[in-house]
Amino acid sequence: MAMVEVRGVRKVYRRDALAITVLDGLDLDVQEGEFLALMGPSGSGKTTLLNLIAGIDRPTAGSVQVAGTNVAALSEGALARWRSHNVGFIFQFYNLIPVLTAEENVALPLLLERLSRKERNERAMTALKIVGLADRAKHSPRQLSGGQEQRVAIARAIVGDPKVLVADEPTGDLDAKSAEEILTLMDTLNRDFRKTIVMVTHDPRAAQRARRQLHLDKGILQA
Amino acid sequence: MKYLPYILKHLKRHWVRSLLTVLAMTFCIFVFCVLQAFLAALQRGLDSTNANRLVTRNAVSLVFNLPVTYKERIAGVPGVQRVCAQNWFGGARKAGDFKDFFPNMAVEAEPFLEMSPEYILTEEQKRAWLESQTGCIIGPATAEKYGWKVGSTFQLESFIPPYRASKPFEFTIAAIYATDDKRFPGTDKTIMFFHRKYLDEATGRQVGVGTFAVQIADKTQAGAICRAIDNLFENSERQTHTETEKQFLASFLSMAGNLALLLNWIGLAVIFVILLVTANTMSMAVRERRTEMGVLKTLGFSSGKVMGLVLAEAGLLGALGGAIGILFSTGMIRVLAMAPNVGPVVQGLGGLPGPVALAGFALALGIGLIAGLAPAVAAYRAHITDLLRHV
Repeated sequence: MAMVEVRGVRKVYRRDALAITVLDGLDLDVQEGEFLALMGPSGSGKTTLLNLIAGIDRPTAGSVQVAGTNVAALSEGALARWRSHNVGFIFQFYNLIPVLTAEENVALPLLLERLSRKERNERAMTALKIVGLADRAKHSPRQLSGGQEQRVAIARAIVGDPKVLVADEPTGDLDAKSAEEILTLMDTLNRDFRKTIVMVTHDPRAAQRARRQLHLDKGILQA
Repeated sequence: MKYLPYILKHLKRHWVRSLLTVLAMTFCIFVFCVLQAFLAALQRGLDSTNANRLVTRNAVSLVFNLPVTYKERIAGVPGVQRVCAQNWFGGARKAGDFKDFFPNMAVEAEPFLEMSPEYILTEEQKRAWLESQTGCIIGPATAEKYGWKVGSTFQLESFIPPYRASKPFEFTIAAIYATDDKRFPGTDKTIMFFHRKYLDEATGRQVGVGTFAVQIADKTQAGAICRAIDNLFENSERQTHTETEKQFLASFLSMAGNLALLLNWIGLAVIFVILLVTANTMSMAVRERRTEMGVLKTLGFSSGKVMGLVLAEAGLLGALGGAIGILFSTGMIRVLAMAPNVGPVVQGLGGLPGPVALAGFALALGIGLIAGLAPAVAAYRAHITDLLRHV
């Protein structure tokens, strides 16, 4: 069974009287441990598809099955709980909380778990070690470079040991060197930690680091 | 509690804004607590009045005295048990120095002691007072304030012209009365009473009577007796106005208008303004953090939890301001207790009343939560994709 099963998904956005169909009957399977790159022009529906897989948006029709759960069928509260246990999200602009240190940012999702402060900090430090930033644990985001911020964001995404990592243009705001480091890190997470990764990118070099690339154009997937 | 550091860090992010909001809330709760404490003190005074006592005064104004001869005629009204002539002396250790003031009254000692069981004296103390022409009895709070004991002497000078003599009045403390807060709650612990005849003798003239305290047998007959007394003097040059002791005190307090209403309106106006200030702070805080709210929801925080964090932040602002406001108002009540004019009124409270402090804290928390409600609901309802799009 695939880790991600998207079947007949349709997504329509409504703006006043205007209905915009972004995805229309889309099917997609992502196997466990796969590293998939989704490419395509702006407005092709990449981020919409990523949001549906991550459970932060709901399809207008069709089903999205992730790690055996029909995400679209979950209530708001159940979906939030499901996200915290199953999905790690990596944003293009990192979206770290500026008032928190790197360690606190990474430990943020663990506030939802029944863990002591010590346990939360230990797990956060483990995640920071994996991304190579244990020595920056007490630094605030503004004291970090863009590449380091993204690594902290990745640590935050993996700290709950999710089954799936979704990344929306994870290198889109980085210079070439930092982008390379981030891609290497994602490759490690996929290869060594068996994380299933779905990554949206515009960058063909970034896409080449994935095991499989798919192109999305006007809501239609092309191999 | 595990979210507290997170909330505190957010409040620290714009610390000037947070501090100003807390200070605004502090001011609001300070004003509320001081006004309510003052009202509580006034109410306490009203509650301490005796329903079996009436007060007869000049119908035109308290400023004008009544003839001493009225006493016998009032005493003859059916239902009247006892009458005591009394004058508000208005004496201070230095005439007109209200920074160093405690209330003092000239009374007819015998009827006064009979009809004022709230001022507790032993038979020996009563006798000591009755036998001393310049003797007086004082409240325990005043005795403590000045370090006076039985036998201590002091001088007072009145600022009221008819009560001024060629030299200050000399007094000797005959007794320090006791009070019983259970039987007679709100009894003034500061007031001093001395012999009325000393007032006449020292001034060398009949100064007249400020008010007559009238003890009646049946409090249900108070209305009828008040009318009967006033009817006696209806055609006199100096007409009287008689009312219950509680009504007298209330009307005395309301000479500056409806004080309670005025104070409550001031309090409400301040609360409303602070509500707007806090609501504005919270709206700005949430608007600036839309993306962050989206991130929290993406990480698995439910909409309810995000709403709770916003409300907790607003509530914490309110609670902090409330706690500081209560501290300041506690200090202010202590300062007021030492002030000349309001001091005697406030002293009886013995500090900020617990219910007022509790109400102040609840109000602060309530203002914070109400102010945070609209942005919290907005955060609750906002969809993750909309929040994240706001970058």
